[in-house]
Amino acid sequence: MQRRTAVAGVGESEFFKRGGASETEFQLACKAIRRAVEDAGLKLSDVDGIVSYMDARNNPVRLSAALGLSRIEFTGQTFGGGGNGAASAVMIADAAISAGYAETIVVFRALAQGQFGRFGQAGFGYSAGRNVVPGPQAFTVPYGLVTAAQINAVQTVRFMHEHAVTQDSLFEVAFVAYDNAQRNPRALRRGSPITREDYDESRWIAEPFHLFDCCPENDGASAIVVTTVERARDLAKGAVPILAAAQGLEHRGGVDGFNEAPFPTAHFRHVGESLWSRAGVSPKDVPVAQFYENFTGPVLMAISEMGFCPPDDLEKWVTAGSLRWPNGELPINTSGGNLGEAYIHGFGLVNEAVRQIRGESTSQVEGAELSLMVAGPGYAPGSAVLFCRD
Amino acid sequence: MTRYLDGWMLPALDEANREFFTSGKIVVRECRGCQTIQHPPEDLCYRCGGYEFGGREVAGTGTIYSHTVIRHPVHPKLSERLPYTVVLVSLDELPDVRITGNLLEAAPEDVRVGLAVRAVWEEIPDPETGDVLRLPQWVPA
Ligand SMILES: [Zn+2]
Repeated sequence: MQRRTAVAGVGESEFFKRGGASETEFQLACKAIRRAVEDAGLKLSDVDGIVSYMDARNNPVRLSAALGLSRIEFTGQTFGGGGNGAASAVMIADAAISAGYAETIVVFRALAQGQFGRFGQAGFGYSAGRNVVPGPQAFTVPYGLVTAAQINAVQTVRFMHEHAVTQDSLFEVAFVAYDNAQRNPRALRRGSPITREDYDESRWIAEPFHLFDCCPENDGASAIVVTTVERARDLAKGAVPILAAAQGLEHRGGVDGFNEAPFPTAHFRHVGESLWSRAGVSPKDVPVAQFYENFTGPVLMAISEMGFCPPDDLEKWVTAGSLRWPNGELPINTSGGNLGEAYIHGFGLVNEAVRQIRGESTSQVEGAELSLMVAGPGYAPGSAVLFCRD
Repeated sequence: MTRYLDGWMLPALDEANREFFTSGKIVVRECRGCQTIQHPPEDLCYRCGGYEFGGREVAGTGTIYSHTVIRHPVHPKLSERLPYTVVLVSLDELPDVRITGNLLEAAPEDVRVGLAVRAVWEEIPDPETGDVLRLPQWVPA
């Protein structure tokens, strides 16, 4: 926190359409980690910590053996959830290094959904042989409410109703991702920009979400290396300090069946408060941000809850082009994000936030001194991390 | 009546949800210690920490708090039911309690926030356990 630790390296595997990877998920994970360590100018033997989120498959035992990590001192993950843990994983590394439990931690996420099945499908084996669903999901799944798209659609409809947000704002979030992807050679959607017409004509998934409101599912891996600021300064690419990170969970936040109060929320109300207070800056100081897009609607909720725009003003602010690169007030998802670059459970957005500080983005915001990454909205606890120039 | 999502998954009954899914009434869990309504059920009361719950019956009327019309199949058993409408109903007697269901007897275009609805029940016998499920559903009031 407060510039004690920094990102020294970023790396990723190649990205593939879902099921298109020629390597296994574990091979992809190892490749991204190797590349992040090489980018930093470090050796794998320098790594003494491993952090991820929602990843039991590519565990430290396998990684240590495969990568020759000779002395792991620290491992960690956040609880369950999903992409909401993308920034809190960075926060764990920051906390561990600040506390002196490790010096050089790899934070990563790998996905090969061809190999391991999809998030977005109802292929669950809830109850072997029986057509029943237990627990809190018994109150939702029997009504055909199953996938994240459908659940987030219910949240988004209420949000749109309360704050007079229309499909025009949802389109902007989709548009900027596809537009920024056109400049990014890593982006899977490069060569496939979308127009408003394409968006309107794309099929409905769960209203108000068209196909282009929903993130694809992809295969690939992304990783960063976090170390002390002092050490990072002496390495190949210099330091991208972590200025602040935050997680947030309100009382009964995320309770099943939409029974949290207040509803709807993206779970960023006090993530924002804590983050700005720890960093000593405010949203208006931030020139560029990466917002995890699971679906366009929750991104708008997160933008508002993080303090960038009151919810009742969102429609006007967003449709004025505020999220567009290069001239908008807050260009977002400059790599193309989950929608346009690749969906690696949101970790690609962390790499992109670091690249904005380095000046390496393909949609660079000139002279960015601060760069924000906001993790998956609509799932609790929310998390965010703010990088700064050294 | 034929089930709206005929052939799709059913709730697995347990002590905490049996009354909700079999009584043919809207019955939610209420803490015996402090009368806090707890929906969906949890192992202990979120206000007083109590372990004991009873059922509180309320009128099966409410308004649509939010909704979605699902048009993309996520499971073969749901494909032939498309499009189907999922609603979140705020109960008239307990506005902070929201019940998920489907909107029957209405076109997808007719669903909107604020629409007054009333509960109806889909009766589904389970030959394996002998239970008769009564799944709450919603129609325009
Ligand atoms: Zn109680």
